[in-house]
Amino acid sequence: MLDEVILCLCACATWLDIAMVIVLCALLLAGFPAAFTLAGTALIFALIGLSMGVLDTAFITEPYPIRIFGIIKNQVLIAVPLFVLMGVVLERAKIAEELLETTARLFGPLPGGLGIGVMLVGALLAASTGIVGATVVTMGLLSLPTMLRRGYSPSLSAGSIAAAGTLGQVIPPSIVLILLGDVMSNAYQEAQISQGIFSPEPISVGDLFAGALIPGLVLVGIYLLFLVVIAGVRPSMSPAVPADDRYTLREALAAAAKTLPAPIFLIIAVLGSILTGTATATEASAIGAAGAFLIAGSKRTIARGIARQLAMGALISAVILFLLAANFDLRLGREAAFADQMAIYAAMAASLVLVAGLAASILSVAKDMLTPILDSTTRVTSMVFTILIGAALFSLVFRGLGGDETVAAALEAAPGGTFGALIAVMVVMFVLGFFLDFIEITLVVVPLVAPPLLMAGVDPVWLGALMAVNLQTSFLTPPFGFALFYLRGVAPPEVPTAAIYRGALPFVAIQVGMLILLGLFKPLATWLPNQIYG
Amino acid sequence: MTETVLKLLAIAFLLAPLAVASTAPGRTETVLTQIVRSGFVIGRWSSLLLLLVQLSVVVLRSVFSVSFIWLQESALYLFGAIFLLSSGALLLMEGHVRVDILYTKLSETRKALVDLVGLSALVLPLAILIIWVSWSYVGTSWSQLERSSEPTGIHAVFLLKSMIPGFAVLIALAAEVRIIQIVRSLRGPTDA
Repeated sequence: MLDEVILCLCACATWLDIAMVIVLCALLLAGFPAAFTLAGTALIFALIGLSMGVLDTAFITEPYPIRIFGIIKNQVLIAVPLFVLMGVVLERAKIAEELLETTARLFGPLPGGLGIGVMLVGALLAASTGIVGATVVTMGLLSLPTMLRRGYSPSLSAGSIAAAGTLGQVIPPSIVLILLGDVMSNAYQEAQISQGIFSPEPISVGDLFAGALIPGLVLVGIYLLFLVVIAGVRPSMSPAVPADDRYTLREALAAAAKTLPAPIFLIIAVLGSILTGTATATEASAIGAAGAFLIAGSKRTIARGIARQLAMGALISAVILFLLAANFDLRLGREAAFADQMAIYAAMAASLVLVAGLAASILSVAKDMLTPILDSTTRVTSMVFTILIGAALFSLVFRGLGGDETVAAALEAAPGGTFGALIAVMVVMFVLGFFLDFIEITLVVVPLVAPPLLMAGVDPVWLGALMAVNLQTSFLTPPFGFALFYLRGVAPPEVPTAAIYRGALPFVAIQVGMLILLGLFKPLATWLPNQIYG
Repeated sequence: MTETVLKLLAIAFLLAPLAVASTAPGRTETVLTQIVRSGFVIGRWSSLLLLLVQLSVVVLRSVFSVSFIWLQESALYLFGAIFLLSSGALLLMEGHVRVDILYTKLSETRKALVDLVGLSALVLPLAILIIWVSWSYVGTSWSQLERSSEPTGIHAVFLLKSMIPGFAVLIALAAEVRIIQIVRSLRGPTDA
């Protein structure tokens, strides 16, 4: 009798890893915060594993604190709080709102123009916040009422907004791409080491940013094309703003000249410095956050007089600093030629202006916005990294129970070889995207499925880009898509849920098309990183 | 042996507020909340300091080709403080993401029960585990007053590592505050 029980338990022991995943999903649905559900499930299964003698405590006690310390010591992840800060500043300083207003004025007179404006702002904003919920909510609150008032069909409006809001995942610099880059580079090293390559080729967050850029931009392009076609075929769904309600072209251009350049310049500076390799993602995030503060500080609604002039001066000196650094040798502490010496003095002066401008901007913002800005930054950062701490324990225990071998074996058994395994992973991630956020999937699922795929020769950048586009699709897909939930939350009651779902469908189709395109043409993702990083 | 006793004592001490709470719930709640909140305040200002530090690093390096290792390393301390010290407070502010497809549809009592079970069966054990496994990791660091691996770095790695059990203590205290609050709200109607 006892023998049979023990035999049964032993048979179960090999299934513990799978049971762990199933229990995790069930517990997550109960709604307790995901970070602790991850850690708690791991803990329960660690105890079961220990009591059955199939888990070695060494899998947890030694590595867990080292893993947590590894998060703190990770230079790349410092980019996360700073990009969040940049996004929060741009949002709170109402820069996003102005952008939407301006593009509405600029494109409104064209048929389908409002939709095009929303899409463009989504692409720009996306690049700066990278959190699906936040972008969809902001855009939903700001542009949905305008589009409805102008006679846009509720489904088309809702669809464009949900699609524009989810662009944040794919277009760099999004925080999920940073996390994905970090996870992917660990997985890639692991894959190479287990293949006996002991000086593994690294991949960086920059690689992944470069890899996701073209798919992201192509996606924006197809979205825009779709809106233009709809405006042509079904003019009643997206009418032009009536003539008597338009701004003159001059007014619209003036508004655009005032609000557009600064945020566009900021995004180009941040992305450009990462893609050209002049700055790491972490450095670029500091530039981005400081730039966001300066733009906020040079706004008339936020700062006045000297403080505002200092902020604008600081923006100019940032450009001067860049030009000086590009053209002169500014290394300190050596015998410099006269021109270099002068340039060094100029650079020091510019740095001082930069410091003064930043101080002035922070003080202007401090009047009523600084604490909320820092609070949201801290909240989002802490939320992300607490999940990381929970996920670290989960993956330690999962591996301790042999889960990595189970996943590898399952992928190997998938029909159609590597490509079949890849499709299987994509389908699983797509389904998980219905109830887990991008962050959780990146931190829990990717470390498990990526190493076997990479070992089978899948390109890490391509895989990252595929995962990003795939999850974005999942967030848009009715009835479970995250973006649709958020949009439902802020949409006025006269927009029925069915209209939101119907509106999302064509965009889902575009997404799936993009996913297939990317699956068939790998260079869409790998060409740019190869060009840049060789 | 003594280490195990010390660990058990520390854990008992960490859970003590729950016992105290049965006699003085209001006061316990206030004190614990203040401790947890102060962690968040440190996190909040660390995020601003992190920006300033990281920006200085970038400007100094890319313009003047100067780098200070201590400046670079201070970013790690600030970064660690942002998320490790504020995570507990997020429990009090509903800041941790939930998978809320079903949760939003539950009644208030059911929600309270989910939270109560989660806090006591998931959060508190995690805190205990982290303290247990990081004990010797952090203890060794303290006993050597571990220095940075760089000669001009910040020689307080033991403080940096202490934030790991610090995180555990803060989430445990926050969980206790929530437990006290939930138990009171569940009992509320019958007492009144």
